[in-house]
Amino acid sequence: MSIEATMKFFVRLRRAMLSDTVSAVAAVVLVLILLISIFGPFLPIGKPDQIGFGPRLGGWSWSAPMGTDQLGRSVLARVLQGIRVTFVLSTVSVAIAGLAGALVGISATYFHRLADEVASRTADIMFAFPPILLGFLVVAIFRPGVTSAMAVIALITFPTMLRVVRASTLSVMRRDFMLVAEISGVSFVDRIFRHLLPNVANVIVVQTIYSISLGMLIESSLSFLGLGVQPPAASLGSLLRDGATYLEIAPWLSVGPGIILALSIMSINLVGDATRSFVDPTYRF
Amino acid sequence: MIEIKQPIIEVRDLVVEYKSHPLPVRALDAVDFTASADETVGFVGESGSGKSTLAMALGGVSRSGVRPSRGSVQTFGRDVFALRGQDRRRFLSEDIGFVFQNPIGSLDPTRRIGHQFFTPDGQPLNEKRVEELLSSVGLEDTGRIMASFPHEVSGGMAQRVCIAMAISVNPPLLIADEPTAALDASVKTQILDLLTELRARARSTLILVSHDLHSVRKYCDRVCVMYGGRIVEAGPSRDVFDCPRHPYTAALLRSIPGFEGPGGRIEPIPGYPPSLNGQASNCTFAPRCALQIPVCRENRPPVSVEGDRTKCCWLPGNEIGMEISQAGRGYHA
Repeated sequence: MSIEATMKFFVRLRRAMLSDTVSAVAAVVLVLILLISIFGPFLPIGKPDQIGFGPRLGGWSWSAPMGTDQLGRSVLARVLQGIRVTFVLSTVSVAIAGLAGALVGISATYFHRLADEVASRTADIMFAFPPILLGFLVVAIFRPGVTSAMAVIALITFPTMLRVVRASTLSVMRRDFMLVAEISGVSFVDRIFRHLLPNVANVIVVQTIYSISLGMLIESSLSFLGLGVQPPAASLGSLLRDGATYLEIAPWLSVGPGIILALSIMSINLVGDATRSFVDPTYRF
Repeated sequence: MIEIKQPIIEVRDLVVEYKSHPLPVRALDAVDFTASADETVGFVGESGSGKSTLAMALGGVSRSGVRPSRGSVQTFGRDVFALRGQDRRRFLSEDIGFVFQNPIGSLDPTRRIGHQFFTPDGQPLNEKRVEELLSSVGLEDTGRIMASFPHEVSGGMAQRVCIAMAISVNPPLLIADEPTAALDASVKTQILDLLTELRARARSTLILVSHDLHSVRKYCDRVCVMYGGRIVEAGPSRDVFDCPRHPYTAALLRSIPGFEGPGGRIEPIPGYPPSLNGQASNCTFAPRCALQIPVCRENRPPVSVEGDRTKCCWLPGNEIGMEISQAGRGYHA
């Protein structure tokens, strides 16, 4: 991308952000949450696994702004670690599922009717599994942990991505401009990369962003049930589970992770909405 | 079937069927058609009569990838459905230009207009040539148009862009599938004038698919009236519209404003278009035809040729007589 194109991109991004205040606020909140979580290890708030950093189930203090847990660990430090774990785990899983879903969705639809049938029926079968039951199944096979959580997120978000990309590919394939490109002498490969992909890219990007919020929810649910990230590592779900035990005497253990999780998911969804209008040229102004 | 000297398009016994449940839909039912160089041929008929399918088949293309189940299409001496790979690519990009109904839909919404012009090799066309092409179709401010996305220009401008794309290699055959259907009346005439002017300048062949009988009468040398996947009548457009020989042509003319004559009334065609499942064993227009005779419902009508006109009907032309010729009386070009 040339410097001029890059400048134009950022000008357009700034204009898009300013035109939609809610999405702009959501983006700022999301960026702040992520920045704080990234720089968390460098802040003087203790280490997430530092037992006895403060009093057990201690309340607010300057060194532990979110209080301390049942082992005297800084809740803020653990929440920041939880954000990193939940966000990275969910993003990586969704990226894998998104890439696979997009590849299978486009190629199955574009190349062969039989491949399309197989892909569609596979998605149907995957949809038939309730997410939590699928989680139990995967965990039973691979044991609880990060790998299992990632596999579950990928398996749950893959069929949705496949379906959405397939529908979009089918719709774009039948548009006249694809036929015009074929008649104009554009090669098969170029038709896919120059015309088909850019037209389904907005769907892929938006669906991926929504899937990240879904992935965070899945990861949190699994960890809440003890099937995801294992102690001593923390994720937002495992923090909520720990906090639930002491909800009546130390509500700050649940409130912090709960608010952060809700804010993150809401912000991601709002950013997803704004991204749709940003990546689709027909929504440009 | 009309026989013309030195035909560049020869369609023989063409049958095209779309997959459907429980029976395939026969969009083209044993169609014969020829066209020569340097003429404009119009295809008219109701929706679903097979006009677009036939027009697309002349270039060997189809939106749903369907191929003929019988017959052949020879365009410039080549069997278009037998062409493969590089041969097909070169044939499509060098010999044929297509203009579609929806100009905005014919342009890639994610690419700027200037980046949608290609050489026959599929490489982007240089900016100067794009500017020349846009100017040749009457567009001003070409720089702004080239930098615009398709949704940023009007329908008329977009259709001119599509025409510029279609003529970028001066193809000897231009196929326009309802090119003015999505445009308002003032732009419609401009676009049709432009297409015929470009055709005359290049001495190429123009196939014009349209619902607008007035435009077809004005701009086309010949017309093919289609019904139920067949060409039911063909001939010089003024002759066909002034003195139709097929009951469907007459009924079609009576159903459109401008052909009804002084004090006349517009009469819709009664009934519904036929379901096109399989080969028709009788005249598919018979259930809607006021002049039907018993044989119409029993046997498939033959194609009869008289001079430069053909029709596909059991009724002899002179027996139809005044009933049909009434249709053309009120029209004043």
